[in-house]
Order: sequence, then structure tokens, then C-alpha cells
Amino acid sequence: MPTTRRQFIKRSAGAVTVGLVLPGTLLREARAQQAQANTNRKFVVIQLAGGNDGLNTVVPYTDSRYHSLRPQLAFNEAELKDSEGRSTVISNDFGLHPALGKIKQLYDQGRVAIVLGVGYQDSTLSHFLSMDIWHTADTSGLASKGWLGRYADIALLGQTGLPAVALGGLEKPKSFNAGMVVVPNILNFEIYNFLADPAYPNDYANQVNAFNFGASRVFDNASLLSTINNAAFESVRGAQHVQRNVNNYRSSIVYPRENPLAVGLQMVAQLIVTIPEAHLLYVQLGGFDHHADQVDHPNGQPNKLAGQHNLLLRWFSDAVDLFYKDMAEHGLADDVILMEWSEFGRRPQENASFGTDHGSSSQMFIIGNPIRGGLYGRQPSLAATELDLAGNPKFNVDFREVYATILDGWLGADSKAVLGAQYQNVGFL
Amino acid sequence: MAGITYDEAAHLLRRMGFGGSPQEIEALVARGREGAVDFLINYAQVDNRAMDDLIARSFDFSDPNDFTKFNRFELERWWFTRMVHTRRPFEEKMTLFWHNHFATAASKVFDIFMYVQNRKLRDHSLDRFDTLLKVVSEDSAMLIWLDGIQNVKGSPNENFARELQELFTMGIIDVVTGEANYTEDDVKEIARAFTGGKVRFARGSTDPYAFEFFVNPEQHDFTAKTVYGVTANYSADDIITVVSARRSTARYLVKKLFDFFVYPITSSSSDKQTVEKFANVYVSSNHSIKELVRAIFVSDEFYSDRARFALVKQPVEFIVGAIRMLGAVYNPGTYEPRNQSNVLAALSIFLGQELFNPPDVAGWNLNLGWINTATLLNRFTYADLLVISRTRDLSAPGLWLSHEQLRRHTKANPKKTVKKFLSVLGPLKVDAKMVRALSDYLRTDDAGNIGTFTPDDLTVDKKVRGLVHLIMCLSEFQLN
Repeated sequence: MPTTRRQFIKRSAGAVTVGLVLPGTLLREARAQQAQANTNRKFVVIQLAGGNDGLNTVVPYTDSRYHSLRPQLAFNEAELKDSEGRSTVISNDFGLHPALGKIKQLYDQGRVAIVLGVGYQDSTLSHFLSMDIWHTADTSGLASKGWLGRYADIALLGQTGLPAVALGGLEKPKSFNAGMVVVPNILNFEIYNFLADPAYPNDYANQVNAFNFGASRVFDNASLLSTINNAAFESVRGAQHVQRNVNNYRSSIVYPRENPLAVGLQMVAQLIVTIPEAHLLYVQLGGFDHHADQVDHPNGQPNKLAGQHNLLLRWFSDAVDLFYKDMAEHGLADDVILMEWSEFGRRPQENASFGTDHGSSSQMFIIGNPIRGGLYGRQPSLAATELDLAGNPKFNVDFREVYATILDGWLGADSKAVLGAQYQNVGFL
Repeated sequence: MAGITYDEAAHLLRRMGFGGSPQEIEALVARGREGAVDFLINYAQVDNRAMDDLIARSFDFSDPNDFTKFNRFELERWWFTRMVHTRRPFEEKMTLFWHNHFATAASKVFDIFMYVQNRKLRDHSLDRFDTLLKVVSEDSAMLIWLDGIQNVKGSPNENFARELQELFTMGIIDVVTGEANYTEDDVKEIARAFTGGKVRFARGSTDPYAFEFFVNPEQHDFTAKTVYGVTANYSADDIITVVSARRSTARYLVKKLFDFFVYPITSSSSDKQTVEKFANVYVSSNHSIKELVRAIFVSDEFYSDRARFALVKQPVEFIVGAIRMLGAVYNPGTYEPRNQSNVLAALSIFLGQELFNPPDVAGWNLNLGWINTATLLNRFTYADLLVISRTRDLSAPGLWLSHEQLRRHTKANPKKTVKKFLSVLGPLKVDAKMVRALSDYLRTDDAGNIGTFTPDDLTVDKKVRGLVHLIMCLSEFQLN
């Protein structure tokens, strides 16, 4: 194995071999490290961006306050039926939104944990700050590293290949901001490639060599140039790894192209199936900021079974179901868990636009064979005296308790080292 | 009058515009620092008829209901055409600044309203801030984007009132003091002041893009509001006057301008002093945006070492900049044949910046927000696409980099050729080892052996195009 980057570049003659090098500044640290992660365990994060309306996702259908706060939007028990007429009620107090029929079936099989009342102290009503808080697990929102980035720095440094990837987007989620490891993100596999002039294919190796010389230079730590250069190096290295592997994926599952989360989760499946070290995967579905027109309202009459929120939840439910089946088809269903989060719930009191404004605590879904299904946490009261000044509920479970449960119980990490404090185990693992 | 060096003028033109040819940079050097800034700011005096004629030939927006001629992709093509061809680059750059500041997106808003908003931002980009804010608050795109038209008495929608403070004027906390600028009650009360705002097609107008704002008295809340501790019967205009006059707004605007045009402002005490210095300009000039940006672009802060290459190029700066610096050709064609002419707008999306469609109301994540492995590979792909765009017909629609233009900068010796292109594309500061590696590339044959450099047609077509691709892939070229 070549010992310096220069030797590597000379010997590789244009073919970048994955895992032999790390960006310059990491080389020394990486040699001293042995990656600790058990990459056979897969962790998939699904971010629902915009603030999902938790009260109309896991519906407290017996709560009279819920009905009085939402004269237009509330579901009653009779309405909690999926598209095939099956009840989506999961307990004496709660039912799932009718669009979540597939999730309900997984719930009935004991594969879905729903943690109620998740949030944090003094919840902000700003999307951007609240997302930062969730990404960084720091309630000031000012930390620069994401919680999964900190985990990656501890557990994935020195791990070759593509152990962590965000899929389906052109933005890297802040959860993956790390100090040492560069976490790649891939919009789609076809264009994730380093191209040169097709008129002179025999010059390609020279192009790659010169590129790698530039991308292997060492700049001052924490400078813009250093960060960009490390990402540049990682992009071309990872691209060659992706191009060599992902086309080996075969599956009978058909993911509908109009469902963007299904497209993202298919990419997750493709990576998990073809790239053995794939370990942390991240996808997003946006559009949950329903200040208005959360439900359709032809002639001023709300139709809760149609509209934006219904569509997005159906996408979520269908995509998760297809992904679960795909993993089962590949014998991987025992190796994967999914965690859903959104930066906040929405205000219990609906507004006049068939919508809801920014809220606070909400629920989280954690899904997979390894999960002990059921309801966890506790739903906060909607009583007027229990709401804050903005009219939003309190929280009962700190979101970092959920992170800690996954870090300790699934990823085999020391959650205290990652999160900076000890948090209670929620119990679903 | 302070002079301006070639590198400083190139820096100024990259920041106030999209960079330019060596001749354009030399012309700014001849004007001196203040002269160069005034030339770029007083763009209304610059003859731009060539671009106007090109736009008139290439686009037909006469009927916004004709989807074949007026749609989002045509809008994006339109703006890219302007940015590549204008002789008033600061007009486009400042419009882009406000588009990012008052980020409104076609993901929710009809194209026609996005176009109307762009024209308004363009017309008022150097106006008094109060005026611009009023124009934006009454703008049809904004009323839809932040649900203003659904904000009615009795059940106010807080969306606009919140972002007005959090993103458009003062920020959640004061840039200098760190104290909270407003409370949740202020959000609710300000929302009430904006209730009842509507737009309609301007009656009697022949301009299909003329819309007028009005307040529906039935839906407006006329009762007293308490804002920042003072109770009065505030109208929407009163609120705009109040927020525009707050010191926090002056500071926040300075920070936003620095983050976009100079360098990211930190919470250090010296940066706070810088913020205060320019906030004073905002106050003393009666909230003139033009005076504020002029003060920034002539300042020593702008030309400091700290400011040089301190920002990451936005995708449109990367795309348009390479064209303008290299003297490449972009012909927009017309709406009709769906040819190569849509390439700039289409690629920009893959670099992370779709004009008229920022990701959310906070705008694009600048600087390292542009950088990740996916967007970097897509930048490299754009560079590849530019250098392989050969043509015998430079007047054909599309993006072209001509052999003659590359030949013009190619020197007899490989090192000088590398240095010339590093200068044209920056000037970029790149260390001697990298220059050596690029110069070796020019001399390396297909078998990987380093030989001699002969600047014949084949070498220009193969190696000099390859060199431009490699320079555009350098991390240094990602910076602005």
C-alpha cells in the first residue's frame, strides 16, 4: 500500500482507489485510529422539514380540547380510517392520520415506536434556529458540529469507503457537520461523477492525477480552502466508489417517482445493498410549513382527506413501507432502523387559513425490526393553563433522550461522549 | 483620491459584479478606487442598449398567460442572459442580494408574480430602505409567499410579521448587543397591523404585469396595537417606519451586506465596531441603501487582506464569472428551439442555486453552505461542459468557448500559460508546486510521460481546454 499521497497518485495512474488516502489534514489522525463503528448496523434519518403537524399525525382523538381548538381540522374517531377503510386507531387515546395506513400496519406488527411529547426547553418558533438545535443537539443552536458528525468523528474516522451519506439533496444536513470526517451527499447517482473531455479519453488519467494533486494539498486547518479542498478530494474519491458499485442493485420493489421521499429511500436502499460499509444514511421530505391550506377546502368546507398534509404523510408512509419491504427482500430488515424528526409541531389552535402556525413539542417515529414497538413518552396537556404564552404545549421527552437511546442502543456509541451529557433511555431499543 | 491596484479592481468587479476580462479590470484601475465604485454604482448612466436589444430579440414576455413564452425556465434564462451580457453588473448583483434577502420562491408563488417582484427589487435596489420594505410588503409575490393575503382581522396569520423582523429587518437578536429584538407578542401585534392586505390586477392598465395593492377595510384590524412597548393605532406603513428606524435594523442590514459582499461578520468586538461604523452611515444618510453600499465598497475593510477570497462563490458567480473572465460566449437564442441556451439555468440548479426559487424564506446558505461533495462535483461538471463547448459558429444559441479565445491567452511556455490562465480566472493566488503540477499536466502525454509543450492547435484544443477545466476545479477558484 502506498504510504504517501504522492506515491499513491503516481501508482494509481488515474484510478482513485477508495480507502487508501484521506484528505491531507486527516492523514495523521486517521492512521492512529481504528474505526469503531459496527457498520453492519444501519441507521436512516428521515427529516420532515417545515414543522410537521404532530397533532394531526398522531391524533389525540378523545381529547375534547383538541376538538375545540381545531373546529375545522380535527379528526374524530370515525374519520380515522385508511384508504381501504381499516381503522388507524392505535390506542384508547390515539389514532394515526388516515394517510398513514402503511405505518399503521407496521405499528401493528410491533415495528414502530412512537415517542410522544418530544421537544426541548423554551422551544423556539424559528424554523432555522429549531432545525439547528435538532441538528446539533445544542439548545443554543450555535454549535458548529452536528450530532451525527460528532459520532462520525469518534466512530468513523479511518473507516474506508462511504460509511455515511446524505441522499437525494443538494444540501448537506447540518447533523452531518463533522470536525474531521467529510460526509458526502449525493443528489442522484448518475451525475455523481468526475467528468473530463470526452474528445480525449486518454487524457482522463492525467486530468484525475492533476486534480488529485490539487485536492491533496494541505491548507490551514479550519480555513475555507481546507474545508473545500477536503470535500473536493472526497467527492471524486467517493464518486468512483459509487460508480463502481451502485449499479449492482436489483430489487422487485417499485418506488414511485412522484414520491420524493420514496426516491430518496430507494437511493438509501441502493447504497445499503451494494456498499457494505454504508452505516448512516439521511433523507429529507420538505413542505410541512402549513400556515395555510393544510387541508383542501372546496367552497369553504374542509376536506381533511385531501390537501398538502395528507399528501406528504401518505408519501412518508408509503416510502417507509416500500423501503422496509426492500430491506426484507435483501435479508437486511433486522439490520436497519429509521428515525423520523421535524423541527417542531404546530400550534394546537388552528388559524383562519385552514392551516396552523409554528408550534413546539411533537412526536417522533422510530421504525424497524430491532425496535420495540409501542407508545413511549407522554402527550402534553392541551388545557389552556398548560399551554405557553404562544399557545403551544410543553414537552415531556427531551429529543436528545431519543438520540441517546439510538447512540447507546443501536450504534453502540457512548452517547455521553457524543451529546456532552447523559440522557435517559426512552426504552424502544 | 485613493488608487486601486489590478488585483483590487478584479476583487471589486468580482464582488460588485461577476468578474470581467483583463481589459475591463484595467479600465477600473484607471478610475481609481472611488471612481471605480461610483462607475459601478451609478449604473443608470451606463449605456446598456446592446443588452436591452438582445433581451428584446431573445424573449417574448408580452403575454404572461402564454406558457410557451413565459414560464419559470424562461425567467431563469432571462436573468442569466442579463447577468452575462449586462454592462451594469452591479444592478444584477444588488437585485440578487435583495432576492436572497427577501427570499421568495416560485415553489409557492406563480411565475408572473416572481417576475413582477424581480422588477420591483431591481427598481428599488438602491432606494431608501423604508421605501423598498414598503414595496416588498405590498408585493403580490410576498403576500402569497408569507400568507399575507390570508392575514385577516380576528385570526391573524403571523408568517409575514415574524419574518419581517427575524429575516428582513433586525434579526432575532441584536447583532451588536445580543439582546432579543422583539417578543412573541410583538409578532402577534405586528401581524394585526398588516391584516387585510390584498392585491388585484390594476384596473385600466394595459401592462399585463400591473398589480395594485389595497387594504380590505372589512378584514383590517383598526384597534390599537402594542409594539415594542408602545401602544398606538399602527398601520402597516407605521410599522415599516418603526422597524426601519430601529438601530437593530441598521446593524442587521450592515451584517447582511458584509456577509454577502465583504466577509462574514463575527461577534468579535472589532467586528461590532465595524457594524456600528456602517450603521451610522445608514442613519446619517436617512436610510439610503445607495449611500450605505457606497461606503462599504470604498472602505479599507473591503480591500483588506481579510476580505480577499473570504467568500465562497455563489453558483451564479461561478457560472457567469467563468464566462465573463474567459471571454466565453453565451447566446440565449429564443424561447423557440429548445437548444443549448437553457444550459446555464439548468446547471445552476445542480450547483444549488435556482434563481427565483431559493430554498426557503431565509434565502440560500452562503459560503460553506454552497459546498458539499454533490455541489462540488456539479461545479466540476459545469467546468467540463464549458471547456468542451466547441463550435464553428459562435452565433449559434448556447455556451461556447472558442479556440481563438483560448489561443489568445496561450503562451509559448507551459508555466507562463498556466500563470496567464490563473490570472484571467482570478487573479488566483496558487503556490509554486500547484503551478508546477498544472504545467506538468500541459506537458504530459496519454501514456503519462512528461514531454515538451508545443502550443499548436491540437495542444490548445486538448491541453489548454483541460487546463481551464483543472483551474476551475481548484479550491482557490471556488472562492470569491
